[in-house]
Amino acid sequence: MMIEVLFVLIVTAMATSLLGVFLVLRGMAMVTDAISHTILLGIVLAFFITNDIRSPWLIIAASLVGVLTVYIIELVSQTRLIRQDAAIGFVFTALFAVAIILVSKYAGDVHLDMDVVLMGEVIFAPFNRIEIFGLSIPNALWQLSIILLINIAFVLLFYKELKITSFDPKFAYIAGFSVAFIHYALMTLVSVTAVAAFDAVGSILVINFFVAPALTAYLLVRRMGTMIILALSFAVLNSVAGYYTSLYFDLSVAGTTSFIALITFMIVFLFNSNGWVSSFVQKTRQKKQFNRAMILMLLNEKSHESLTQEEIMSHFNLTPKRFNRHIDHLLMNEYIEKHNKNYRLTQRGVEFTHYTRIKYELPEMNDHY
Amino acid sequence: MIDILSGYTFLIVAFGTVILAFASGIIGTVSVIKGQSLIGDAVGHATFPGIVIAFMLVGIRDTLSLALGALILGIVAFLTIQLITEHSKITLDSALALVLSSFFGLGMALMSFVQGNPDFDGTQGLSDYIFGQAAYMLRSDVYLIIAASILSLLIFSLFYQQIKIYIFDPIYSRSIGISNPLMNFMVLAITITLIAVGLKAVGAILIVNLLIAPAVIGQLWSDRFLNVLLIAGTTGAIAAFIGTYISTAGDDIATGPAIILVLSAFVVFSMLFSRKGLLRRSIHRRKFGERT
Repeated sequence: MMIEVLFVLIVTAMATSLLGVFLVLRGMAMVTDAISHTILLGIVLAFFITNDIRSPWLIIAASLVGVLTVYIIELVSQTRLIRQDAAIGFVFTALFAVAIILVSKYAGDVHLDMDVVLMGEVIFAPFNRIEIFGLSIPNALWQLSIILLINIAFVLLFYKELKITSFDPKFAYIAGFSVAFIHYALMTLVSVTAVAAFDAVGSILVINFFVAPALTAYLLVRRMGTMIILALSFAVLNSVAGYYTSLYFDLSVAGTTSFIALITFMIVFLFNSNGWVSSFVQKTRQKKQFNRAMILMLLNEKSHESLTQEEIMSHFNLTPKRFNRHIDHLLMNEYIEKHNKNYRLTQRGVEFTHYTRIKYELPEMNDHY
Repeated sequence: MIDILSGYTFLIVAFGTVILAFASGIIGTVSVIKGQSLIGDAVGHATFPGIVIAFMLVGIRDTLSLALGALILGIVAFLTIQLITEHSKITLDSALALVLSSFFGLGMALMSFVQGNPDFDGTQGLSDYIFGQAAYMLRSDVYLIIAASILSLLIFSLFYQQIKIYIFDPIYSRSIGISNPLMNFMVLAITITLIAVGLKAVGAILIVNLLIAPAVIGQLWSDRFLNVLLIAGTTGAIAAFIGTYISTAGDDIATGPAIILVLSAFVVFSMLFSRKGLLRRSIHRRKFGERT
């Protein structure tokens, strides 16, 4: 039964991160934050009407409220009275406040616990089961699997449209693509997926499931196709790692998975080929190489053919430690040689400076200069 | 009505929320003008693990230590956001969503650890910090809010000129020797402090409204920075008072959401009827026959 939890987690992560790629590319990550909070209002309203926490109307109503949230935010920011980020922050908190008041006022004694809605707990997923073709399957698993399939179908069907509207909305509009249709279709799916996932991972962590794998993939690649595949892989990786970590330490599964997603992101952020660490390493290496080349260039000049340690050090303002490190390297590679107290270029060093001049298109040193 | 207004609980709660809303309105204006309104949202969520860690270390639900924990984790979250946005192609809103949700996830993981552990007790109330429980505010909580608010306003007014220049002309401000990163950090630190002390009153999710909505109202009524600040602070305070009154008068209405709804009503009103509002704009348009 516990392994079912892992399956629910993986399916959720895949369904959300697939759409997350487009949200990230469109700069709509925080809109997801707004949606994931306001769907609560839809759930509460539908619950008051149907009085059944498992009614499919809950999903429909919640998704409608999610799309409505996006619409209201756009309406408000289109008046140009309020900036978009302020509009997001003000609209979703207002709708969320309505939902909280409704819950605390009218649903106090019914089973609509705020903590569960907000936090979710995937551990409980296997308890709500359904029989399909004689097989007992957790509710969340088949619901999310269907949604995953719908999301995949959507992405495959509208791949080209999604790509063009994400990268160049203006061109897409001129070229006659229905930007609005793709936008609202995407937002509807985001809402539906968020509603289905809130049971398992809660309405706040679902944001993480949407954006974290997509952002990690975004650090590594620029092509949309590869980004999708990478995002899905990171989604599965985070889920598996999060699941086993939480099992080992007896922690909240969704919470642990979300934090592991940040760790995955930070590892990629720090260590990828243009990441923070490698660019730092590259910079120091370049600096070192440049310093060494400069020492050789100096020794290549007619008037400086043979210099003492002090002369080189004062010329480049080097500390003895730095000087020794550069000189040892140059001596070891036989670019220079030491005569008594003076350093001068070897044949190899002369050749090196020659090619360096060609490489940087510097004028050749004239012997009669 | 008079009964409620002179009730002890009401006075305590109202005093706390009004002062908090006044300070948040003023400080929040800076973030809104800089286009960083949602940093408050991210930081608000990120305070959750701070609260749990503080609880784990101290062992009791003492408001001051919980607020300190919230403050520290809020700053860590902010620095993480800054690190990510400055050293990669990730945009601010993506970084916010990522940090917000994963820090919240860490909070949940730690929370489940605390709840499953017999060494800790009295954890039931911890999730109140997400929604706020103004009705249970103590005198000491209000003192903390007053102290933090006064300190924030004091720092703000001391650096008023620098902050103003930094907001509207970052290049000029750098050229006259104001450190923009330092200003940014200072404003954010004040914001995070207010969030940390305001958690009990309005909760981690709704406090972002307290930071944004008054600023929006202020901007709709005026173009002068000082006026925007004053309008923001005042409307925040008025909304806090009305909201607290409504929540005390009607039963089972939480204080935080009530304040937020009053504020939101103010925003909608301002959007329609303010100096730059939609109504004036459409009248203006009809008069001059402008079509856009």
